[in-house]
Parts: sequence; structure tokens; C-alpha cells
Amino acid sequence: MINVNNVTKKYGSFTALHSIDLEIGDGEFIAVLGPSGCGKTTLLKLLAGFMGPTEGTISMDDTVLASAKRVLPPEKRNIGMVFQSFALWPHMTVAEHVKFPLSYHPNKIKEGKKELQERIGEVLKLVGLAALAERYPSELSGGQKQRVALARAIAPLPNLLLMDEPLSALDVELRMEMRKEIQKLHRETQASIVFVTHDQGEALAIADKIVVMNQGRIEQIAPPEVLYTRPETEFVATFVGKCNLVKGHWQNTHFVPAIDSANTWPDLGVADSFKESGIYPVRPEQFQLAAAEKDGLQGVVSFVQYQGHEIHYTVEVGQETWTIHESVFASRFNIGDFVGISLKHVPIQKGSLVSN
Amino acid sequence: MTVKQPMVEERKKRDSSFSLFFQKKNFYKIIGLLAIFVFFLLPVLRLVWLSFVDDGSLTLQYYTDVLREPATWNTVQNTLIIVAGSTVLALVLGVLFSWIVAYVRLSGKRAMQLFIFLPFIIPSYITTLAWTQFFSASGPVTAVLSWLPGELAAPNLYSIGGIILLLGISHYPLVYLFTVNVFRKIPRELEEAAATSGLSKKRAFRKVVLPLALPGIASGGLIAFLSNLDNFGIPAFLGTPANIRVLSTYIYEQVVGFGPSAFSRAAVLSVILGIIALAGTVLQWFLLRRSRVNETNRSDSTPRIHLSSGKQKLLEVSLWIFLLVTSLMPLITMGALSLISAYGVPFNLENLSLRNYEYVFLTDSKPLSALSNSLQLAFFTMLICLLLGTAMAYLRFKHPDWSTKAAELFMTIPFALPGTVFALCMIFMWLEPVPGWNPGIYGTVWILFIAYATRFLVLQVRGSYTAFLQIDPSMEEAARTSGAAGWVKWRRILLPLLFPGILSGALLVFLMALTELTVSSLLWSSGSETVGVVIFGYEQAGYSTYSTAFSTVLVLGILLGGGLFMLLSKLWDRKVLKNK
Repeated sequence: MINVNNVTKKYGSFTALHSIDLEIGDGEFIAVLGPSGCGKTTLLKLLAGFMGPTEGTISMDDTVLASAKRVLPPEKRNIGMVFQSFALWPHMTVAEHVKFPLSYHPNKIKEGKKELQERIGEVLKLVGLAALAERYPSELSGGQKQRVALARAIAPLPNLLLMDEPLSALDVELRMEMRKEIQKLHRETQASIVFVTHDQGEALAIADKIVVMNQGRIEQIAPPEVLYTRPETEFVATFVGKCNLVKGHWQNTHFVPAIDSANTWPDLGVADSFKESGIYPVRPEQFQLAAAEKDGLQGVVSFVQYQGHEIHYTVEVGQETWTIHESVFASRFNIGDFVGISLKHVPIQKGSLVSN
Repeated sequence: MTVKQPMVEERKKRDSSFSLFFQKKNFYKIIGLLAIFVFFLLPVLRLVWLSFVDDGSLTLQYYTDVLREPATWNTVQNTLIIVAGSTVLALVLGVLFSWIVAYVRLSGKRAMQLFIFLPFIIPSYITTLAWTQFFSASGPVTAVLSWLPGELAAPNLYSIGGIILLLGISHYPLVYLFTVNVFRKIPRELEEAAATSGLSKKRAFRKVVLPLALPGIASGGLIAFLSNLDNFGIPAFLGTPANIRVLSTYIYEQVVGFGPSAFSRAAVLSVILGIIALAGTVLQWFLLRRSRVNETNRSDSTPRIHLSSGKQKLLEVSLWIFLLVTSLMPLITMGALSLISAYGVPFNLENLSLRNYEYVFLTDSKPLSALSNSLQLAFFTMLICLLLGTAMAYLRFKHPDWSTKAAELFMTIPFALPGTVFALCMIFMWLEPVPGWNPGIYGTVWILFIAYATRFLVLQVRGSYTAFLQIDPSMEEAARTSGAAGWVKWRRILLPLLFPGILSGALLVFLMALTELTVSSLLWSSGSETVGVVIFGYEQAGYSTYSTAFSTVLVLGILLGGGLFMLLSKLWDRKVLKNK
């Protein structure tokens, strides 16, 4: 169990993190999601011990790892780390990469040579590199390098595995494959994982819990589906779900859009903060388009983008511009068409949200 | 609650020991900066101070005396003409070569670069010696000219023109070094954008490429300017026989002249030299004031200009002729002429002998002891620079704050100062480190060691710093999250990766110290002669054949060492770092 307690980090006059609180349970897979400069890398570096907090403490199982005065260096922490650039050492073979932490990590193999070799073999097999043990990094492909970086990080069975955008250097297909690979490693090692990324799809697909950060603050901590369907702040609504923030006011359990008070929308699970500010966050795929003579809010299509699996419409509704995603199988509209817009009435099952 | 109490106390104890550590850290920082101040900056301040002091009272007497002499103004005028001429020559050659190598499609660019860099590792006084042989009565130039019709004589190198030529040829590689990557880093899209906007190639070069390359050209020009100003070997070898003085040789003459006020007069001249150097630096700053350097552009070394194959051949041939004539031929001539038995006799089989070598290495004892002195000095200078310079580079890399920046700036001063001025600083500093106490450093080999180490340390700092910059910080971070700290981290991860970069810095320090002339010529004493001093001595006494023989052996040694280094770093790259 790792506790980040009221941690603030300042670089000179710039505050990178504002009083962060975070709890990482044993075996939990947490994705830290945010745009660049949001403080997610700073948080990771604090967890690793490359620097110390300006205020607050970080503790692991009741021992204090870092405070403003004292920082336990990374080599004394029970952690493993996977770097964005892989950080493989060009002068060491794959097997030597795995052997390195087994010889120096706080969890190093203290038994004989045989146990060490066995463990190296075990780890290489786990990541599927047994056949490449004697290769050097320059002789490996991108995906193989990624596996070496993973193998080196998990070899000493650390309590906490830190991953700094580990997939961003890979191409799209390999990224999908490595997502599964990392989930598999998580299942088998049972380590707590903190996975930093700016890719919302990656975070939604891979983690048990997502921490969304913006400008040095935590916006929301929630399991993927809760985060996506019930964002609590405007930032989360637009960054994760690409929601349209429709202005209006709430009347009891119904929402009245400011543009057209003739229509009302039911509450499909909107956070209280939005109810207070009179906003309805609607995800692009939550809208439904119909010919103009039908009921609903009236708008004009201004852009159409064909995406293959769906069609993205940009629709001008009064003063507002909304993005609406429709299936390619639904009826089509062209630029300049008048359309009627309504909400898809699929109530969200409050009880059974998917969690990985 | 009772259980928690001791824990809190223990934590308090740790905290206090840690705050003590931080205090200690500041303490070390101050001690370190103080030591750097004493070794690197204080000598310069004492030199300036001495130019204003006479018998303990402030005076401008020396300034008025020196500035009233016509000889001073004559020297300053010579210096300005020579430095301006040679800087223009170095700029023209350097920019031309870097532009061609960066943009035009040529074969054998790597070999060309090697030849461009040759004047770097051969000290300029040896180059000068080689050139005087090249143009001498028994040299190839005279021979070629005598075949041609008309009364053509080889140009006289012992003149202002000769000094300008030699300085320009010795220092254009510096300009090349500073500009070639600047040219490569200018995105080719910018030229293409200029072309699609309707600019001709020539106008695009003038309006787009040149302004963007200006920072590199100006820095290269400044370095060439400072090197031309600082150079002692070339004006000493070529100017002294013809009675042409520049400031660096004039200061030298003042100091070895041992007049009653020699040191003070030399100090005044040094301040004048310093002011000229400063003026050049200000001019460069003025030129660069409004330019922005974009360091993030990727260097693009694929050729941008494709000539027709005939024109390309012609260009290649003329470049090679220039390179061979300016860098290799003089050295070969020197080697050949070192084999003739007496100066001035024609070069033919009957006159060939090894007599000069016999004299230099068997009869005269000085060259061998000088070689041993220089090798030892160079080795220990390299060693101490390797340790201190790499440590400094690591601190500079890990903690890029004001203190390490200031430290590096201080370390640059001895290297940036003209050699004669720096030597004078060393005398004033170490003759009596504390006024009234002479520990006997001046007049022994120790002053040479201190001078070399302080002058060349910055080369190692820069070399190691570049090596640190080239490895991804995550390499070290990965070692630490794998549990490695301290010596293990250095031995297993950092040193193998840094080795080639650190080694090239160390080799540069070694070579510079081995063949150093300017500083040594003022600081040597009987028994601590260095290689440069002995060759300079032969040349002053008119024993050109001996100096060429000794220089030939040195050049062969340097080339061998350079070759070994290239082989070693290539092997390291392939065998240890597994680069293909």
C-alpha cells in the first residue's frame, strides 16, 4: 500500500503539483492520465525517488519513503521502472539486463548462482524472450526492446512498478499487443502498477483505476467506466469523453437546454457538480440525429468527417457547436442539412459498471 | 501512543543529521568555488593589479611609459593587421569548406574531414617549421618555380604575409568545426520555402542560409580571432628573424629580457592584449545580439547540391590538392629535409644521412630529457584533468545551477587567455602565492604542471560534459531503480557508456600538454625543458635541421597516437557498445 499524502512539488516559483493525495492499494493497476505538463511525470519521479516533495509525505506500508527533509533514494526503494525510451544499456545482453537488478536490487537473489540463472530464465520466458537471451539491444526490434525493459523492471518482484508512457515509442499495432502483455504481467506478478500516459484509450483499456490530472491537481479518481460515463469536472468531461458541455438549467430531475426550453432531457447519471453549474455533459455518441421535421433541438450540419467505423458531424445549434458521432449504418446527412437532435434514451445501469 | 513516541524522536534525529548534511553541502560548495577562484581567477586579478602597482603604491607610470613608446604602437599595429588578415583568411577557408562539406555531394568526405583536422593535432610551430622547409631553397616550391620560365622566387614566409598565411591555415579548422554543423542543422525546407516564394538559389543563400548560419560563423570567427591573437609559435618562428613583433612575442621578449621593470611592463602589455581580445568578444556579441539559435533542429547531412559528375570530380580534385598541399606536403617535406646532412644543400642521394637524428637523440642530451619531461607532464596533467574535469562535468550535468556555471566560467579563463598572458599570471601567482612567502614552485617543473593543469582542465570538462549530455538520463535512472548506486552504477553503466567521450577529452589534454610551447617558453627552467622549448631553442640558434629532425619524430608519434585512439574508440564502439 502506497500513500501519497498532501504532496506539493515546486520548481522555483512554479508549482508542478498542488497538495496531491493518492492511495495505491496492493496489486492495484493505476493509470495516471493527463495532458503534457499536467504534473504526471513529476508524480512518477517523486514515487521513484529521483527527487523529493516540497511538502507532504510519501509512504509505503507505513514506512516513510519521502518527506520534504528526507528522501529515500530509488536504489533503496522496492520499485521497478519502465522508461519511455526503454533505457536499455547498449553494452549488456538481454540476460544481463535481467541479471542486473537481481544482483543489486533490494530484493536481490541472495541464494546461489543456480537460483539466479533459474530466475533469469523464468523472467525471460514470462516476457517471451527466452530465445533472445544473448542478443544486444541494437539487435532487437522495438517490441522486443520493450519486453526487455519490462523484464528488467519485474525481475526482482518489486512492490511497485512504475511505467512512464511505456508504449508511446511503439507503433499502433504493437501498442495494442503490449497492452495485453502488460495486463498479463500484472495478473502474474501481482505488483502494484502506476502507469503514466496521455492516451485516454490506453488508460481506459488497461487500468483498474484512472487518476486524471490537470495543471498539477487531481481532477478525478475513478474506475474507467465511471470516469467515462460520469465525469465530475469539465476537464474530465472534455479530456476523457470529448463531451459537449450543453448549457441550461436543472429542474428537479430534468435538464432544460438554454437554446430550446421546449426540450427536456432526463438525468442519465450526471455528477452533482454539473447540476450546480447548470451543465449537461453529453458524449458525442450519446446524441442522435434525425431529419429536421422530427422532434428535438434544431441544428445545421457544418462539417462531416467520415471515419470508417463512424461519422463525425459538427452541428451548429443556436450559438453552440456540438460534435456528434453517428454510426455509418444510421441515416446520412450533408453539410447544410437541417437536423433534429435528441438524446439516446439508454439509461445507464448504475449498479453494474465494468471494471477491469 | 507510548509506542509511537520513540519513532518520532528517531525521525527527528535523522532530520537533524540531514539538515547538517545540507549545511555541509553548502560548505563544500563554498570551499570548492573558493579553490577554483584561487587557482583560476586570482592569478589574472594579480596580473592586472601588478600593472598598476609600483613599490606598494598605485601608479599609472607603467602605462604612460609603455604607451608613450612608438615600439608599442608599432607592435599593436602589427598585431591588428596580422590578426585581422588571418581571421579573414580562416573565416573564408573555414566557411567555404564547411559549406561544401555540408551541402555538396562529394565522395570521401570522411577522409577530407580527417585532413582538415590534421592542423589541430600538429602544433602550429611544427606546421610553421614544415612550411619554412616547404618554401626553402631546397624545398619543392623553389624547385617547381625554377622550371617555370621567368625569374620566379618562392615567397618569403618571414613576413607579415607569411604569418597571416600560416595563422589562417592553422586556424581555419576551428571555423570549420563551428560552422559545419550549423549548416547541417538549417532545415532544407527553409531553402525550399524560399525557392517556392520565388527566390533564386543565390538570393536564398543570402537571405535565408547566411543569416541562419551567422551565429556559427561568428563564434567560429571569434575563436579564430582569439587563437590568432594568442598564437606565439608562428609569429615567434617567422616574425622574430624579420623583426616583426606582435603583442604575444613582445610580451615574451619583455619577460626574458629581464629589465628592471620587465614584469610590470609585460603586465601592461598583457592588459592591452586582453582589451583587444575583449573587443573581439564584444563585437561577436554585437553580431549575435538579435539572432536566435534553434538547437533542436536535427542535423541533416545528406547532400543538398548535386553537381554534374564532371564538375563534382573537378571540385573533389581541387579540394584534395588544397588539403594535401596545405596539410600533408609541408610535413613530408620537413621529414625529407630532416634527412639532408646540412642546411641548404640540395636534396639528393649523396646528401642523405641520419646525422641530424644522431645528433638530436644521441649527442645532445636535451631533446630526450625534454621528451621525457613533456611526456610525464602531459601524462600527469591528463590524469588530474581526467579526474577533476570529469567530476566537474558530472556536477555541472547533475546540478546546472549558478555555482557550477560560475565554476565552469572560471575554468575557461586560463584557456581563453593568450598563452603569454597566462604564463605571466602563473608567475605572479606562484612566485609568491601569499605575498612574502616563496615556496619555490616557480623555477621548477611544478609551475609547468600547475599551469598546464589549470590551462587545459576546461578541455576535459567540456569533453566529459558532452559525453554526459550524449547519454540519456534514463540510463542512470534505470540503474538506480534496479538498485545500483555509487561505484556499481559508475563501473557497470556510466563509465562504459562515457568512455569514448571522456577519452577523446583526455587525449586532447595530453596532446596539448605534450606539445605546448607558449606557456612553457616563459615558465621553463634549466632541467624542466619541454619539447616545444627545445625545438624553439634550436630554431632560435639557427639549427633548423635539428629542429626538423626532432619535429619529424614528434609528428610521427602524434599521428601514431591519433591513429591508435581512433582505432580504440572504433573498437570500443563496436565491441562494447555494440554499434554497427
